[in-house]
Amino acid sequence: MNGFWRDSGVALAALVLLLGAPLAFSSPAFEDFIIRLSALALFATSLNLLVGGSGMISFGHGLFYGFGAYAFALLMQRTTLSLASAVLLTLFLAALVALLVGAVCIRLKTIYFAFVTLAIQMLFYSVIISWVSLTGGDQGLQGGIPRRVIAGIDINQQGHLYQFCAVLLVAGLFAMRHITASPFGMTLRMIRDNEARAAFLGIPLWRPKLAIFVLAGVFAALGGILASLFVSGAYPEFADWPFSGQAIFAVMLGGIDSFLGPLAGSAILLALNDIFTRLTEYHGLVQGVVILLFALGLRRGVLDFLRVLPGRGEVASR
Amino acid sequence: MDLGALVACFASPACVVTQASSGLIVGLLLFLVAAGLTLIFGVLKIVNFAHGTFYMLGAYIAYSVLQATNSYGLAVLAAAAAMAVFGVAFERFLIARVYGGNVLMQLLICYAVVLIFDDLVKLIWGADFHAMGMPEAFQRAPIFIAGGVVPPFYAGLIVLSLCLAALLGLGLGFTRMGKIITAAAQNPQMVAALGINTTALFALVFGLGGGLAGLAGALAAPVRSLSPGMGFSILIESFIITVIGGMGSIAGALLTAIGYGLLRGFGTIGFPLFTDELIYAAMILVLLLRPSGLFGREIV
Amino acid sequence: MNLEVRHLTKRFGGVAAIDDVTLDFPSGSLSAVIGPNGAGKSTFFNLISGALLPDGGQILVDGEEITGRSQAAIVRRGLGRAFQVAQFFPTLTVRENLMAAVAAHRGQWGDLARRFPPPGARTRADEIAAMLGLTESVDRVAATLSHGDQKLLDIALALALEPKILLLDEPTAGMGPEERARMIDRVQHVWAEQKLTLVFIEHDMEIVFRIAERVAVLCYGRLLAAGTPAAIRADPAVIAAYLGTEAPKP
Repeated sequence: MNGFWRDSGVALAALVLLLGAPLAFSSPAFEDFIIRLSALALFATSLNLLVGGSGMISFGHGLFYGFGAYAFALLMQRTTLSLASAVLLTLFLAALVALLVGAVCIRLKTIYFAFVTLAIQMLFYSVIISWVSLTGGDQGLQGGIPRRVIAGIDINQQGHLYQFCAVLLVAGLFAMRHITASPFGMTLRMIRDNEARAAFLGIPLWRPKLAIFVLAGVFAALGGILASLFVSGAYPEFADWPFSGQAIFAVMLGGIDSFLGPLAGSAILLALNDIFTRLTEYHGLVQGVVILLFALGLRRGVLDFLRVLPGRGEVASR
Repeated sequence: MDLGALVACFASPACVVTQASSGLIVGLLLFLVAAGLTLIFGVLKIVNFAHGTFYMLGAYIAYSVLQATNSYGLAVLAAAAAMAVFGVAFERFLIARVYGGNVLMQLLICYAVVLIFDDLVKLIWGADFHAMGMPEAFQRAPIFIAGGVVPPFYAGLIVLSLCLAALLGLGLGFTRMGKIITAAAQNPQMVAALGINTTALFALVFGLGGGLAGLAGALAAPVRSLSPGMGFSILIESFIITVIGGMGSIAGALLTAIGYGLLRGFGTIGFPLFTDELIYAAMILVLLLRPSGLFGREIV
Repeated sequence: MNLEVRHLTKRFGGVAAIDDVTLDFPSGSLSAVIGPNGAGKSTFFNLISGALLPDGGQILVDGEEITGRSQAAIVRRGLGRAFQVAQFFPTLTVRENLMAAVAAHRGQWGDLARRFPPPGARTRADEIAAMLGLTESVDRVAATLSHGDQKLLDIALALALEPKILLLDEPTAGMGPEERARMIDRVQHVWAEQKLTLVFIEHDMEIVFRIAERVAVLCYGRLLAAGTPAAIRADPAVIAAYLGTEAPKP
């Protein structure tokens, strides 16, 4: 269990740093960045549980991010549930949705899997747009998140929201790290590497695949919850295709073979987007060019590039 | 849900004709886009996520050429030719660099191209919706069939698309290149073993697919509003059609697209709110029961 | 364990790839399956291991019918196999490959409560690696191994399941003479040490007649002959159909 204690140490240190940062220097811009990063990084890392960890390329993972945001915002607006109960109930509902979607999708081969997940996400998106009375349609879910102070934490205050997001970011990443480092995580890597061999080692493929699809959906929904808190509502863009595309880019930019790759990719992507948005209104154009340069030039993620483990120098490309 | 209205429509030949003709143009335009998508998938085993971009650019190019020359025929030809060239360039300069690599890289490159060209269209033509307007040649009295109104452009579009579908079918079935493409879609190893230049073949397939999508965009321009994001919804729809029809099957794409168009045409009367959901449900059902599609062979 | 097939038949679109084959592999025996290309040897293995469903006939392990069971169920019944093209997990190290297989064999593939590897898996993995002479390569990423070592890893993965019956599909395929000798040496060693019922497909007649206790000859899906190497060598039908003019060396 050495790995467990080492990861716990890293998580604790990260938490202390994040929570202590505002005491050392007060920077609303930094806090704002971390809050946005927490949502995107949880989402991107959960996507990489599928993409890098299991070889299941989902193009419609934004469904769970959008679902998390809408379900949480609606629960907060329309019920009197406490913050914690609303979070837990949202995650539970997301798990149910992921179970249904996964049951349809997991037996499909690569390209089919990618596009059917995308199509189901677009179905969800079209429901958001057309069910105006519930979701506010293309205007997004307005009206804010009602404040519910629990244990002295008021999420409508930026400082408290920052702490809340920092804690959930670290806890979520730690939990996902544990999944990838467990025997179950190794089973997923076996399936990614060679499905036929895994089946002949006696692994019933559909069970681990469905399980990771549901887990990834739950963590994506957690990211969606944080996004909903940040924007005080929910927007259909959360469940739209460019967002899923961005997350895939974040994952690949950071490196699919490194656990913290998606976190690094998310941070770089957010920073780049902030710069592009300031420079030009055509940030799609700039971002597209950057992606092309990355895909044709660098070809692998930043952390995968930096990480040269002994004996692992050149791993066969998949 | 208004099934009463649907029944009433079926009882009236006029309503059937009107709805069927508008449904048919939806379906046939989709077929032209889906045919390229399904061919590219069949031969190269790549889903061209940027296929909607070809369609969008085709529409905008036709819009500008019509304004400059006032000839719709020229506009359509220009759009198709430009997108055929664009398709070849896209394959040669971008997609060809990641063959055999990670599927993610292919998707990422397509994603980048979609982002770039959506913004380029914004830059050149503006972010607002554009309407091409009906070309002069078609500004004439509507045709009446059994009391139903069919705009002349609709009739022209239906005839032209069906001719193109027939031409495509004949071309694939009876020309040497067409036979090679069909064979490649069914058995790529065999074609490589026969010593056929796959580089040229792949570029040709992308050119054909791009040209068809550009053509579809130009044909859609008079009856659709033009906007920078217009490529994506058609991509999703044509993907659904290729999945239901069977990836790699042209006949499957044609029949499914027509069925899809008719479902939309009559769906707007019977269940306007649920047509999208119904179509997604149909796709999921097909995937569960026949993962290779209704007309597809076991190629996945 | 005893492996038996009775009247096994498999057709692909009307063509019988395996046609009414009845064979018995006694517990602890070392048998070879030979035959020209396209004789149906790999299909025969795919049927026994559950990768393909037969159209007719039965497969029995110690008298218990396993026909039609899932691959996973057949694995649990004690039947392991290695493949003609080595099948392993290319991005994992040799040790990780084996530890993962050991964890899977112990039913820990879904374990979320601990870190990988589960206790004991590493020791067991190193034992298996030693058995096949892979000790020096345990920390290497499997994709970077030599062809011969990859074939050995494939067999090692099968052994991690502690099978009683082991099917090896052309263990020496694509190897040079030296690698070949090493592989055959290992196979014999493992067979004797683990008291396995071992069946292998092989093209090299010299190897077959040197190590096999029993030989079965398949030709166009039919069982041409079965018996001791000496009987097979003398069988006129085998000489005519398979060994051809090039009579086996005495």
